[in-house]
Amino acid sequence: MADVVVEVRNLQKTFKRADGTLVKAIDDVSLSVRSGECIVLLGPSGCGKTTLLRSIAGLEKPEDGEILINSETMFSGDQRIEIPPQNRALSMIFQSYALWPHMTAFDNVAFPLRSRKTSKEEVAERVNQTLEMVGVPELAGQHPSDMSGGQQQRVALARALVAGDDLILLDEPLSNVDAKVRDQLRRELVEMQRELNFSAIYVTHDQIEAMELADRIAVMELGKIVQLGPPRDIYEKPSTRYVANFIGTVNELPGTVSSMNPDGSAAVKTQLGIVNVPSEEEFPEGSGVVLAFRPERCSISPQQVDGSLNWKGSVNTSSFFGSHTEHHIKISEDISFIVWQADPKQLTHDEEVWVTVDHTNLRVLPFEGHEGIDENH
Amino acid sequence: MTEIDVAVAPEMPSKQRGVKTLGSKLTPFQAFSLLVGFGTAFLILYPFSRVLVRLFWVDGSLNIEPFRNVVQLPNLGQLMFNTFTLVIAGGGIALVVGFVLAWLNERTDARMGGLTDILPLLPFVMPVIAASAGWVIIGAPRAGYFNYYIREVLDLVGIHLKQGPFDIFTWYGLIFVYALYLIPYPYLLISAGLRNLDPSLEEQARVCGAGLWKTLRRVTLPNVWPSIAGSALIVATIGFAMISVPILIGTGADIQVISTRIVRLLNFTYPPKTAEAVGLSVVVLIVLVAIWRLQARLIRGGRFATIGGRAARGRRIELGKWRWVARSLTFGYVFLALIAPLYGLLITSLNGFWSPKTRWGQLTLEHFRTVLWFDQKTRDSLFNSVYLGLIGATIGMIIAATISSYVQRSTGKVSVFIDGVAKLPAAVSGLIIAVGFILAFAGPPFKLHGTMLILLLAFIATHMPSGSIAADGAASQVGHSLMEAAYVSGASESRTFWRINIPLMLPGLVAGWSLLFVRYAGDFQASAILSGTSNQTAGKKIIEIYEMGSYAYLAALAMGLTLVTGTIIGVVFALTRRRSSISSVV
Repeated sequence: MADVVVEVRNLQKTFKRADGTLVKAIDDVSLSVRSGECIVLLGPSGCGKTTLLRSIAGLEKPEDGEILINSETMFSGDQRIEIPPQNRALSMIFQSYALWPHMTAFDNVAFPLRSRKTSKEEVAERVNQTLEMVGVPELAGQHPSDMSGGQQQRVALARALVAGDDLILLDEPLSNVDAKVRDQLRRELVEMQRELNFSAIYVTHDQIEAMELADRIAVMELGKIVQLGPPRDIYEKPSTRYVANFIGTVNELPGTVSSMNPDGSAAVKTQLGIVNVPSEEEFPEGSGVVLAFRPERCSISPQQVDGSLNWKGSVNTSSFFGSHTEHHIKISEDISFIVWQADPKQLTHDEEVWVTVDHTNLRVLPFEGHEGIDENH
Repeated sequence: MTEIDVAVAPEMPSKQRGVKTLGSKLTPFQAFSLLVGFGTAFLILYPFSRVLVRLFWVDGSLNIEPFRNVVQLPNLGQLMFNTFTLVIAGGGIALVVGFVLAWLNERTDARMGGLTDILPLLPFVMPVIAASAGWVIIGAPRAGYFNYYIREVLDLVGIHLKQGPFDIFTWYGLIFVYALYLIPYPYLLISAGLRNLDPSLEEQARVCGAGLWKTLRRVTLPNVWPSIAGSALIVATIGFAMISVPILIGTGADIQVISTRIVRLLNFTYPPKTAEAVGLSVVVLIVLVAIWRLQARLIRGGRFATIGGRAARGRRIELGKWRWVARSLTFGYVFLALIAPLYGLLITSLNGFWSPKTRWGQLTLEHFRTVLWFDQKTRDSLFNSVYLGLIGATIGMIIAATISSYVQRSTGKVSVFIDGVAKLPAAVSGLIIAVGFILAFAGPPFKLHGTMLILLLAFIATHMPSGSIAADGAASQVGHSLMEAAYVSGASESRTFWRINIPLMLPGLVAGWSLLFVRYAGDFQASAILSGTSNQTAGKKIIEIYEMGSYAYLAALAMGLTLVTGTIIGVVFALTRRRSSISSVV
């Protein structure tokens, strides 16, 4: 296994609200980041992802737990150790870029080197080299106020890379640039990370960004990491409804487990009849679950398909999105499914169709107490 | 490209890193900040507590005798009536005029670019003591220049007057000059309030059919209420403590107020009646605390729309032909507050004596030469004031910037305490603090009586709130992430302070410095009580010369003082302008 760069153990951090109630921003979180790996902390605002990142940087002080960087203790609640951020040998890119407006791009990028008492010649050489690398050598003498958002972002990236730290923290760095620039910068970031082989912890609430950048995604909710794994696992094998809903769109059919079959599948009683679904988890009889499936893993057909699950419904809306067509099919009074078809053909309102889905594309997830997540995030 | 990867950043072994154990050790910078903070707190609280103790604790026992003496002071009722009339009338006029000027310049097309921001603040450059002297010279009923010029004009139309028509040595004259030099404060605060108020709120009201006047009354005024209440507090604080105007103009009008009485009790009575002076100071303090509470309650009780960051610029109200009337209000203010008194000072000092009949062919620089060079005492007093202004404003702003930055980055009882103490002198008249300095530092063990140091310390303590508020504004414009970016770039707290905070705060700090510099150089609050023959200040010397009646010297010294402060501030702004224009963009 590759070397561990960052090790977070049982980290705790509580905030006090204005009304005096306590909020656990980080609730017993453990995480390790391997050398050269990019971990994305993903979740809605207020889930604790930024607090976790800032704690690793040393900008927030946790109450308990440990943070090690390159096997050196940076924070320890037990040993009462807290290394200030300037001595942690890491870099960070801020959401606002945090470029110093009174300095030129050159001076901004030179700052980390000058803080670490590097010789004048070396500063000049490495700053120019880094500005070249991020593609903005012509900006050296400019002040941040004369740059576009994308250019500022590149200078901020140069400032993070220049010292050659092997750990870079990124706090929603792309959320302030427009969509086109964002896509391009994201691709360049992936390339640079592969090339320079630094480890990165990247905070975002954008699942597309997470999928593209991450070696592993840590989905966070209410201060906890609810699932940690490669993007594909997170997408295809979400462990909770929260994760399934946060990453992509999902159809849900609620039910209760009536029995566990000998072959490991679960018989789930739903409004639309009993469904047998393969399950990795044992559910006690009578427990509330939902059957979840992705809109692109089901299809629409004029008649039933043998060997698949088939539900009859009527078309509610049908919209053409370019890459696919999205149909909302009403199955019953309170159940409707979203289906994505590559076929650009739009269906007429109230048309009767069958929604078919293969058993293996269904996933049984515990019902839990709450409904997925807020659409607003 | 991979060189970056290979070139490992210079790294220190972990033992040498500043390992900080939780909560127990302070970084050197925090220690420095705390030292500055507590030092300032001592400088303010210790003299202040001596005042309170002195009031009730006489000869080793609790005693309300001084209070009784205060109550029995001759003409106490008249004194109170005069003071309140002056502060309420003068302050009220200043609030109204300040609001009108601010509204015209922020909301209508009477605005004249950047000039508008500077014009109403120009009178700040002229120490009030010098300006008051100027107004005596132009506004006196017989020899006053303006009255003379008006009489000359009236002569042409057949009206012959021996004196007047105006008399500065009257109630209206006193209130007029009082208001004149209070106006910049409400102007500053209210224009800031208007700038932060989203103009679309007012546009919405207009769209809803409310006229200009109704919009102003129902939407604008209620929403800038906090700025107005804040202005009222500042105007009252400065108004109660102001000595320059009442001592120069009020004495001529035979109108005594609390501040001049305190000075007389301490300076012109032998032995000095310290207890009575302290008692009177406490009366002022009680009134100011009451106003402060009232203001805090008014602000808390209301709901005010404010927005953070940059407000969207609304369309300015077009005044049409009234535009130049509105503009002439601003020009008129600058004329009355700055140009007119300067003219009086200049002509009198060049003329050699105070007479409206200027002998234009015989103007001479002789009096300037005497005041600024040959007369050692006067020369020294001017030098002392400028010296105190330069050193004091610099120290004061460094202290204020340190405290503001510390308070900004740490939330705790200690920072709340230090911040509160730094603002405390705003609620306490400078006279009380000066009295406290006599009690606390004049005698043993400090023995600072008659030194420049006691003046310097008293100036710093008295004017700390102005510096602190300016520094707070500057500090709040430096975003947290700019500092955090420096930390993660490996910069220590002190490196971050000097390389990031200070340069970014510079425009605000320069403005604060200028304000402090003029206050220190033209001070006649602390120096009225603390300055003597061995540490004479220009403000004190102006009063002395005035009482001897040599107006040419008075004019030359006041003019010299204004020239020096004006020049220094001009140079400072010219030097910092280029750098500040860079950072003010963001």
